[in-house]
Amino acid sequence: MRALPFAGIVLLGACASAPPPPAPAAQQRLAEAYARGAAATQSANLASAARDYEEARRIARSVEDADALAAAAVNLSIVYQRLGREADAHEALAEVLDRPRYAYPERRLAQAELRRSVLLLAGGNPLEAAAWAQRADARCGACELLPAIGNVRAQVALDTKDFARAAELARAASDSARAKDNRAEAGNALRTLGRARLALGDAPAAGAALEQALQIDHALADPRKILADLTELARVESARGDDAKRRAYFDRAIAVGRALDDPRAVAQLEAEMSNSGRPAPRAEPASERK
Amino acid sequence: MSESIVPPSRFPGLAAKVRAFVIVAVLLPASFMALVAYKQGWLTPHTRVHFVAANALGISKGMPVKLHGFVVGSVTDMRLSQGGVDVELSINSEHVPSIPKDSRARLSRESGVVGAASIDVLPGSASEALAEGDRLGFEPSRGLSEIIDDLRRQMAPAFQELRQVLAQMNRSGEAMPAMMKKLQAEAEKLPETHDAVRKFLHDADRAVAQVGDAAKSADRTAQSARGAVEHVDAQIPALASKLATTLDSLGAASAQLRQTGEEAREALRAARPAIDRSESAVREAGEVVGAVKRVWPISDQFRDAPERTLPIDSAEGRR
Repeated sequence: MRALPFAGIVLLGACASAPPPPAPAAQQRLAEAYARGAAATQSANLASAARDYEEARRIARSVEDADALAAAAVNLSIVYQRLGREADAHEALAEVLDRPRYAYPERRLAQAELRRSVLLLAGGNPLEAAAWAQRADARCGACELLPAIGNVRAQVALDTKDFARAAELARAASDSARAKDNRAEAGNALRTLGRARLALGDAPAAGAALEQALQIDHALADPRKILADLTELARVESARGDDAKRRAYFDRAIAVGRALDDPRAVAQLEAEMSNSGRPAPRAEPASERK
Repeated sequence: MSESIVPPSRFPGLAAKVRAFVIVAVLLPASFMALVAYKQGWLTPHTRVHFVAANALGISKGMPVKLHGFVVGSVTDMRLSQGGVDVELSINSEHVPSIPKDSRARLSRESGVVGAASIDVLPGSASEALAEGDRLGFEPSRGLSEIIDDLRRQMAPAFQELRQVLAQMNRSGEAMPAMMKKLQAEAEKLPETHDAVRKFLHDADRAVAQVGDAAKSADRTAQSARGAVEHVDAQIPALASKLATTLDSLGAASAQLRQTGEEAREALRAARPAIDRSESAVREAGEVVGAVKRVWPISDQFRDAPERTLPIDSAEGRR
């Protein structure tokens, strides 16, 4: 009977394991700042997200954590762009790409280069965007950024009116996104493919691609992309000459725009709908702006 | 001497504390084991069925049992029986109602002859579902040796025809020298004919220069023809010899190829049980490691580091 307590203690001792060493305080604060920033971005509290990522960048600088610093720069470029602060978004990336103090990991550099190409494309500079996408592509190889890089290049081709090339690149980006199970980029690729096919005058193929994009964006529950898909589908029906369907798609797009509380997009869509199917000036940009 | 025993006041209630400690010490590991058992599916009810296979080649304990490609159980036991090997399957009772009573079992591999082996349940058409202790029919699958035998059977006629063609070519080669000898004999008579013609022309009319020229031309042609025939005659025996050597080499290579194929088949047959065992061991090791990783005290050590960057969306490039 005396051996029983002893055996119990030995058994408990065997079950126990040494706790992992605690992370340094600065790394813990860094991890918390990233977690808070991600949560704030997800709940569309972009001002708070920007503060969190600035805090993360400050801590990363203080401990010279190159990976964390580059990650903060990439995140700040995303949040600032969504806040409409394009200059700040570019400045955040400049610390990594133009004034590198540390040896940043290749993956972070590829992310920063891709982000810069996205910013340049959004700023109406497709040729420079293509150059930065090319650099990201060379650095990335077959990394997880490949579908996004392919989509940027397809959008560059679309913006430079090379519609056949845009369709080809979008098709390749779609295949790459499916291979990497990246549904968001698969939807983007199909939307770009639909736009390119519509520009080439192949309305049925454009409609098929855009319907697939809409299905993916419904599954992802991304209202901005749903709005873009519906707007493009309305234009496809306009090209087909089916006024009833065109109006139905515009109605749905306007309903989504109102739910998003985006009066500018709603106004542009209403103008385009009443304009006998001809696209209103700058109707497309607002439909997809974050 | 009637003094009552007074417990020492230094450790009041020590026995109760020790009992409580022991109970906790026993309960904690027991609950841990119960949690592991629950996670491993030991508490899930299973239905045991069996089938009889002609031999146990390729079948091993722990091998998964699949229904429409979905794992529904495993092989739990194998023992020698009257008709071969009695293989016992343990199938998750939740899936048993969807397996008809007249279903059959088949040993299959993911990619035909290679890849992970499993027992596939091929559903039958009976309305009644499988029950505890039922016997399934067993459908033997084709192994690598059967496939090689089949291939050999299909290839044999083609090799036979090839052999006949080669033999025919060999025979044609043998007839060639006789034909060449006749040709040579005819060619040897050409100078005599030529001399007779020249004499005839000389005697007929020397004044006809054109005829003389024609005769000279015929002479040159005859010389060339004789040279060519002599050259061909010299080359033919060597050519025929080379052809015969080549045919011999081809025959030897064919025999060597056949022997190598037989040896490879034997080697594969010998290595197959080892491959099966190692595959089974790797699968079991993977399952154990996976299960250990999921167990509470250890699972914390295998958590992935969270991604620091937000997802980069190319759609943000649209103005």
